[in-house]
Amino acid sequence: MRPQAPPLIGFEGVSLSLGGRLILDDIRLSIARQEFLCVVGSSGCGKTTLLRLAAGLLRPDTGQVTYAGNAVTGPAREVAVVFQDYGRALLPWRSAAGNVSLALEAAGVPRAERGPRIAALLERVGLAHAADRYPAQLSGGMQQRLQIARCLAQEPSVLLMDEPFGALDAMTRQSLQDEILRLVEASGNTVLFVTHDLEEAIYLGDRVVAMRPNPGRIAEVFDIPLPRPRHQLATREDPEFLRLRRALFDFIQEEER
Amino acid sequence: MKQGGELPWWIASIGVALGIVLLWQVAADRGWVSPIFLPGPDRALAALREGFAAGGDLTLHVTTTIEHMLYGWVLASVIGIALGALIGSSRRARDYLGLTLEFIRPLPASAIAPVAIAFLGLSQPMVLAVIAFGSVWPTLLATAHGVASVEPRLIEVARALRLSRLQVMFKIALPNAVPDILAALRYGLTVALILAVVGEMLAGQEGLGHRIILAARSFRSPDLFAGVILLGLIGFTSNALLAVAERRLLRWQGR
Amino acid sequence: MRFPRGLVVPLLALAAAEAAMRLSGLESDSIAPPSAIARAFATALADGTLLQATGETLGAAAAGLGLGGGAGLLLAIALGLSPALARLMRVPVDAFRPIPSVALIPIALLAWGFGFPMEIAIVSFACFWPMLIIGQAAIAGIEPRLLEVARVLRLSLPARIGKIVLPAALPRLFVAFRLATAVSLIVAVTVEITTNPLGLGYGLMQAQQALEPDRMFAFLLWLGLVGWGLNALLLLAQRRLFGRAGWVAEEVR
Repeated sequence: MRPQAPPLIGFEGVSLSLGGRLILDDIRLSIARQEFLCVVGSSGCGKTTLLRLAAGLLRPDTGQVTYAGNAVTGPAREVAVVFQDYGRALLPWRSAAGNVSLALEAAGVPRAERGPRIAALLERVGLAHAADRYPAQLSGGMQQRLQIARCLAQEPSVLLMDEPFGALDAMTRQSLQDEILRLVEASGNTVLFVTHDLEEAIYLGDRVVAMRPNPGRIAEVFDIPLPRPRHQLATREDPEFLRLRRALFDFIQEEER
Repeated sequence: MKQGGELPWWIASIGVALGIVLLWQVAADRGWVSPIFLPGPDRALAALREGFAAGGDLTLHVTTTIEHMLYGWVLASVIGIALGALIGSSRRARDYLGLTLEFIRPLPASAIAPVAIAFLGLSQPMVLAVIAFGSVWPTLLATAHGVASVEPRLIEVARALRLSRLQVMFKIALPNAVPDILAALRYGLTVALILAVVGEMLAGQEGLGHRIILAARSFRSPDLFAGVILLGLIGFTSNALLAVAERRLLRWQGR
Repeated sequence: MRFPRGLVVPLLALAAAEAAMRLSGLESDSIAPPSAIARAFATALADGTLLQATGETLGAAAAGLGLGGGAGLLLAIALGLSPALARLMRVPVDAFRPIPSVALIPIALLAWGFGFPMEIAIVSFACFWPMLIIGQAAIAGIEPRLLEVARVLRLSLPARIGKIVLPAALPRLFVAFRLATAVSLIVAVTVEITTNPLGLGYGLMQAQQALEPDRMFAFLLWLGLVGWGLNALLLLAQRRLFGRAGWVAEEVR
C-alpha cells in the first residue's frame, strides 16, 4: 500500500450537465499523492468526463475540482493528459522527436536544451531508435508510447489517462501496462486511469472506483491490496486478485441488470 | 513502388506520342489541313530555333511571361495564405465573409481584366493585378479551410499544453493546412499562367501571349505554334517542379 | 429570423460605396456608384442586350461542354476500362494537358475567324481534360466485383457500359461534370474578353472601352451571379440525385 499523504486531486460535490443531460451527479473523490487510481464503469457513466474535469478541460456546474488544495480553473503544466485516440493526438507532420519537442516548446524550454531532453524521454519509453520516424510510420503501440513521452516532457505530477490502451491488441496492451507501472514507479507520478477493462484496472491500480450511469455517480470504491511490483502472470494468479476480479465482475453484473 | 514492367509501357507511350507528331507531320506535308493554320512540326521547330537564336525575341518573351506568372503567383500566394489564415482562425470572420467568398469563387478571373484596365490602363501593373486576383482565391480558400479544420483532438492537446494563440496558429493550424495549401498553390500557378497569357494578349506589349496573337494576325503560324509549344512547356515544367516539392514536403504522410 | 451575417459585409460595402461616390461628387471613368450600376443593369435587361449576351455565352459554353466533355467522357471510359490503353496514353495526355486553352485562341482565330465555332472549339478543348482525368479515375475506381458480374453475365460492351459502368461511376462522373461546367463558363468568358466579339465577356470589354463603368460593373455582377447560380444549381442537383454517394465522391476526388 502506498504511503498516506494529503489528497492531490479532489472532487468536492461535483456535478456537470452537458447538452441538457446530467452527466455527473455529486462526485466526491480524493486522489492521494502518488496514488494509482483506476476508474471503471459502463459507457455513459461519465468516467471520461471525470477525467476531463481533472484536466481542466471542463468546469463543473456545482462543487469544485481541486489540485493541491486550489480550485482547478484550466489545464496546468503539472497535469498531463494521455488520450485514447493517439493517432489524432499526435502531429502527423512532425517526427517522433518533433512531437515530444512540442511539449518543451510549449513550456518555453530554450532550443539548446531540447535535444538532450527529447533523447532522454524517447529512451525512457523505448523509442530512441524511432526518433526520426513520422507517426504514420509507427505502430499503434509505438504511437501511444510517443504520446506518453510527450506527456512526460511536461514533467507532470499527475498523469490522466483516458482508456489509453483500449485501441491496442492484447499483447501490446500488456507490455504497455508494465511500462506505465515502471515509469510511474520511477517518477512518482499520481495517476488517474480510466478503462473499461476490469482486469486491467485491478492489475494497475491501488484503488478502483466503479461508476454507475444515468446520471454518472460513484457506486463503489475497491481497495487493491496487491503487492508491488506487479507481474502479468504472478499477480493475475494471486487469490486476492481473483477475489477482487470476482467482486468487480459481480458488481458490474448487478449494474447491468 | 515501381514494378519492373513499367518501363516498356513508358517507352510504348512515348512511341504513341511520337506517332501523333508523325501524323501531324504527314497531315501538314500532304496538305490535309491548310498550312496557314497547321504548320508541320518541322516548321514549328524551325521557328523555335530562330526565335532563340541571336537576333530572335523569344527569350525576351518567354522570360516576360515567366516573370508575370511568378510575380503574380507569389504575390497572390502570400496574400492568400495570410488572409486565409486570418479568416480560417476566426469563426466570426467565416460567418461574415463566407457568402461573399462563395460568390467570388465561381467568377471567371479573366472577367476582372476590364476592371483592371479601367483602373490601370493597358500596362504591366494591370497584367499583374489580373494574375494576382485570379490566383489568390484557391490559396485563400484552401488556407482558410485547412486552418479551420484542425483535428479537434489536437486542439485539446494544445489546450492541455497551454499553447498561446500564436503558437497554435504556427505550430498546429498552419502545418495542418499545408497539404491543402500546396495543392492550391499548384492550381494557382496554372491559373497564373493562363491569366498571364490573357493579360499579355490584352496589354499588347511583351510576353508570349502578345506574341502569339501577333503571329496569328500576321498569319505566321510557325511562330504561333512555337509560342504555344513554349507555353505548354512552361506549364508542364512549373507543375512538375511544384509536384516534386509537394512530395518532399509531404513525406510524413507515409505514402 | 436573425439577419443573415453573410449579407452584412456586401450590404455595408454597397452602402459605403454609394455614400462615398455621392459625397465626393466624383465623376469617374473607372467606377460608378451602386445606384448607377443598378440603373445600367435595368437598362441592359430591358433592351435585351444583357439577355442576348448571356444566351450567347451560355450557348457557346454548353456546346463546348457537350463536345469536349462528351469526347472526354468517351476517352475516359476507354482508358478507365483498359489499363493497357491508359498506360499507352500517359505521355500524350501529359504532353497536351499543360497547354493553356487560352494559348489556342490564336490558332482557332486563324482557323475559324471570329464567332461561335472558334469559341466552341476552345471551350471544347478546355472541358475535355477535367472530364477525361476525373472521369478516368472514376471509371477505373469502380468496384471490380461489379465488372466481374458483367463478364459473368456475358453482357455486350454497350450493355456493360450502359448498365454497369456508367451507373456505378455516376456520382464521381457528376463531380467531373460540375467541374467541367465551371470551366466551360470561365473559358467562354475568357475567349470573349480577349478576342471574340460576342457574349458577356465582350459586353464587359465594350462597356470598359466606352468608358461606361456602370454598365461594366452591371455586367460583372450579373456574370458573377450567373456563375454562382449555375454552380449552386448543379450542387443542388447533385445532392438530390446522389445524396450521400455524392459526398463520398467529392472526398475521393
